[in-house]
Amino acid sequence: MSVDRYTELIHAEIDGELDAQQRAELSRYLLADPDVRALRDDLRRLCAALDETVQSEPPPDLQDRILAALPVAQTARAERRVNPVNWRHAAAAACLVAVGAVIFYSLRGQAPPATDVAGTMAASGDVVTLDTVDIRESSLSGRVSLVRDSAQLGVRFELTAPAPVDALIARGGHTLRVTDVGGATGPGGTGMTVTLPGVAQSAEQVSLTFLVDGRQVGSAVLRAPESR
Amino acid sequence: MRYQKPVFNVALRLLRNPDDARDVAQTTFLKAFEHLDDYDPSFRFYSWLYRIAINESLTTRSARRPIQEVSDEEADESPGPDRCVEGEETRQAIEDALMKIRPELQAVVVLRHVMHLSYQDMSQILQVPEKTVKSRLYSARQLLREQLLHHATT
Repeated sequence: MSVDRYTELIHAEIDGELDAQQRAELSRYLLADPDVRALRDDLRRLCAALDETVQSEPPPDLQDRILAALPVAQTARAERRVNPVNWRHAAAAACLVAVGAVIFYSLRGQAPPATDVAGTMAASGDVVTLDTVDIRESSLSGRVSLVRDSAQLGVRFELTAPAPVDALIARGGHTLRVTDVGGATGPGGTGMTVTLPGVAQSAEQVSLTFLVDGRQVGSAVLRAPESR
Repeated sequence: MRYQKPVFNVALRLLRNPDDARDVAQTTFLKAFEHLDDYDPSFRFYSWLYRIAINESLTTRSARRPIQEVSDEEADESPGPDRCVEGEETRQAIEDALMKIRPELQAVVVLRHVMHLSYQDMSQILQVPEKTVKSRLYSARQLLREQLLHHATT
């Protein structure tokens, strides 16, 4: 009787990987030798106990620690021009969604949902355009503008794309995700303005990352001029 | 945060120290963020995170005072199969035993039995063939069993 063989069969049984023939083979070993039965009982009990291990809650300050250590200001690309898309950027975008959205939203926990911040600013006559970046990519084109009314900043999207585009808006340590800022179901040439929470600051910088299906398709940085 | 709890728990089971696990979890997310360009999108994102967490945990563990690990030979010399201890004592004994086996064996146990990952996922995370994952897991279970039997008779 091969120790290696019946041991292997016992482990495979625990992992639910035995076929009928192997099960019959293991049964023969079990019937023939009480030590094999003892080994099987012990391993099954051990694995059951391990499987019941309860995951511990992480310490409450872990989120704040991670966030405090993250280079938040660098989360979106601090480049004025739109970057070309390649797989590395796609990976980075995927991670930004996974880490960025997860970390920034959940860790900060103070950023309001996009539906709470997307809205119409004051009457068009009172809205001033502070900065505009043209976007010309194969999968995304148009322009984005930083606008303000008497009190608040906003980002105006005038984008077209063959697929729905989401935007990550990073500003002052918060990142918001806004869905459908352009593309198949987005506003396209009609434009859409997202009002940013809080009061507009002088020389403020807003970083935008555009995503289609979780992949980065472009980025831009908008800057408010310094007030005099 | 979606991955915070599993990453923390991987580190906690490998280090058995909440403060160290918290530090490892923090480092894991920072490293992931800093090395986003290294992420290969053909693999699952959490596999990549777990790999970082395990590597960080093992680095932290190796920096500690060496733990007296149990070799296969020592385990084979343990007393015969009397039944193991029960309940909470079992859990404690298992945690003690887990800390005494080799780190690469410890990692497969944590990934399989605590994180409930498939062999395929474990293979990706540990960057070894599935056959090696199974072999390590079988060895780890055997060693843990021997440790628990030893515990029950002392």
